[in-house]
Amino acid sequence: MLKNRVKELRARYGFTQSDLGKQVDVTRQTIAFIEKGEFSPSITLSLKLAKALQTNVNDLFWLEEDEKHEK
Amino acid sequence: MKNDFRMQYPLWMMGFIVVLGLFLFGVNSPETTEIVNTETEQSFLVEYGLVQGFIILGSIVLYLIMLFVFYMKIRRHNKMNPTQKIPSFAIRPPEYLEQDEGMTHITRKASQKVYTFMTWSLPGLAVFAMFSPLSRIYTVLAILVVAFLQYVIYYREIRKHLREEDE
Repeated sequence: MLKNRVKELRARYGFTQSDLGKQVDVTRQTIAFIEKGEFSPSITLSLKLAKALQTNVNDLFWLEEDEKHEK
Repeated sequence: MKNDFRMQYPLWMMGFIVVLGLFLFGVNSPETTEIVNTETEQSFLVEYGLVQGFIILGSIVLYLIMLFVFYMKIRRHNKMNPTQKIPSFAIRPPEYLEQDEGMTHITRKASQKVYTFMTWSLPGLAVFAMFSPLSRIYTVLAILVVAFLQYVIYYREIRKHLREEDE
């Protein structure tokens, strides 16, 4: 499963889901789906999100299996 | 999102199907019911003519009113969403929500559920139509029930995802 830090970074920069959605040209609902892990975004959207949240894709998204291996 | 007419579209289709079912019931209901007890010469006759006529006329009037409101809603939606217009005549169902990849994802999930339902219900419907001793009206009613249920499945799935996000 794909895990992410979208919610955490969005809160850090004080963005609402709608704000972030407007920046990356998607609906608020789509940001919510991503945060909940209900939906894996495309590479294009992942890159846009990483740019909007001033980070890189690897820091924003990772696989749950990798998280387990690292522990 | 709640005010997006494409969200309400399945509900309208369900409404039209119900009205069509009412019309069908009106057209096919018997005009009279007669119960006769021959030994005592008793007879009981009920005339449905008035009720039948009311159902037929009522369903036609209701259908036309709904059609008018439906058309006005589409016009309003198209005015407010010029980039996501609902065409009056299109093969592609307008209830698909495809503004972005997240919405396309939930539309795909809902469509898959409807497809799964259709995979089972259509053969069942065919068997029912072939072997049912009931009159043809019941086959038509069964088709309307399947059509109604496909919208229920689609609407419930989309609503489930969007309601979670609204809360």
